[in-house]
Amino acid sequence: MSTALDTARLSPPPRQSLAKLLVWGLIFTVLAASWSGAEIRPWALITDGANMGTFMADFFPPNFSDWRYYLEEMLITLQIAIWGTALAVVCAVPFGLLCAENVAPAWINQPVRRLMDSFRAINEMVFAMLFVVAVGLGPFAGVLALFVHTTGILAKLFSEAVEAIDPRPVEGIRATGANALEEVVFGIIPQVMPLWISYSLYRFESNVRSATVVGMVGAGGIGVVLWEIIRGFYFAETCAVMLIIIVTVSLIDIASSRLRKLFI
Amino acid sequence: MTKAAKVMVPAIKVTRLHKTFSCCKALDGVSLDINPGEMVALIGASGSGKSTLLRHVAGLAVSDAGPQGGSIEALGRPVQACGRLAADIRTTRARIGFVFQQFNLVGRLPVMTNVLTGSLGRLPLWRSLSGLFPLEDRERAFDALTRVGIPETAWQRASTLSGGQQQRAAIARTLVQRAQIILADEPIASLDPESSRRVMETLATINAEDKTTVVVCLHQVDFAIRYCPRTIALKKGAVIYDGPSAALTPSMLRDLYGAEADELGAGIQGSASFVTGETAALAAAAG
Repeated sequence: MSTALDTARLSPPPRQSLAKLLVWGLIFTVLAASWSGAEIRPWALITDGANMGTFMADFFPPNFSDWRYYLEEMLITLQIAIWGTALAVVCAVPFGLLCAENVAPAWINQPVRRLMDSFRAINEMVFAMLFVVAVGLGPFAGVLALFVHTTGILAKLFSEAVEAIDPRPVEGIRATGANALEEVVFGIIPQVMPLWISYSLYRFESNVRSATVVGMVGAGGIGVVLWEIIRGFYFAETCAVMLIIIVTVSLIDIASSRLRKLFI
Repeated sequence: MTKAAKVMVPAIKVTRLHKTFSCCKALDGVSLDINPGEMVALIGASGSGKSTLLRHVAGLAVSDAGPQGGSIEALGRPVQACGRLAADIRTTRARIGFVFQQFNLVGRLPVMTNVLTGSLGRLPLWRSLSGLFPLEDRERAFDALTRVGIPETAWQRASTLSGGQQQRAAIARTLVQRAQIILADEPIASLDPESSRRVMETLATINAEDKTTVVVCLHQVDFAIRYCPRTIALKKGAVIYDGPSAALTPSMLRDLYGAEADELGAGIQGSASFVTGETAALAAAAG
């Protein structure tokens, strides 16, 4: 009798397993319903296999003859990411604080949050197209596109860090007769600094990736090169540029994750 | 002459203070006067309203709105009345040091910076925001750390200190503030007995040497009796005893702590014997 009780205790209650089953059922239903809309044709990979093989063969060996030009453009891409991120961090600090429930009252944090939502909702590619029209072709349009989009993202992440702080040290500062700004500088910012730095570095990594594509709409950097050679069917050159992008992005990722560990 | 005039103004004057939380009445018409230079213990069971009262005196909480809320004055300036903080509350807060149960230091900042925040109330904004504290304040902060006995920790992060050291750093912060009143909210509740003794000793020394008014909210009655000449006891948000600590009797303590008396039994017994044992010594010290 006691063994029967023990086995019952070892398996989850029936209600819980039924809920689990329902969730799996829902997941498969959604996947099946999206099949035709997304035009999933796995057999195309097999029937067109030969074509793809020929296409892949065109990429190799990569043609690095213009490597100086590619590296210069890659550097510009990095510089776009650096400035886009730096401007965004500077603006995200006040916006992030104003978005935080424990810093700003609802009549301030709600409108600021909606503004940040709109910055975030629109992809940097769309902003890039708009800024190309506004400030002309070139890297500056890319900087502005990354800046606006990243401000929206960082402000949200920064404000979430601020909302998670321990309120007691802030009260300790308040009790000394400090004003609101001093409470923020001495009570809040030291607490959120490691997270803010970590988020900023993470966004820098993703901005290096994004900066390679904003170029495709004319906003400067390696993206412009990539777009031109793909359209010209220069696949060996495309391969070289893609390799340069992969190596650069990996290096930045490794460096920034090392750096982030220092601050946590 | 001036001294006599000063004595006329109480350091803290609480008048018919009422505070209602959604669940219950936390403060029920509390009135009390504390004179400059006194060292007063505020005792009572958990939930008796002693922490709430201290937070109101520092203007960190506001009483019930309307005329029934009551009022508080500190150092001759209004702190709050009818549920509204005074307009110059920050100036008054700068003159009142607050010591918290959980120390409330900023863990990632050096002890020195934490102590220097005591000067924020009187510094111009550009100085405080740039972190360029005047030499005079930095000297003062170091002296304060020396006085509380932890100068060697000045450039450590506050989070690396033990509880007792953090609490002494918090007291050093009130010294940099040049606080004329120190309010300590259960300053020893999270500390071991030896650290507790040192923290209470530090507060008593500051009270004796600087004539700073000290109000300590305590759970342990024996500490109240040992360090504070006057005790105010709260029960369910009302003052039920206000007088010399030496006159507290075991039956009074039993009434005060009610159901908690059993769990605190040993402590109360201990303090009772402490009272009887120490009354003569206190009388001798007074004489």
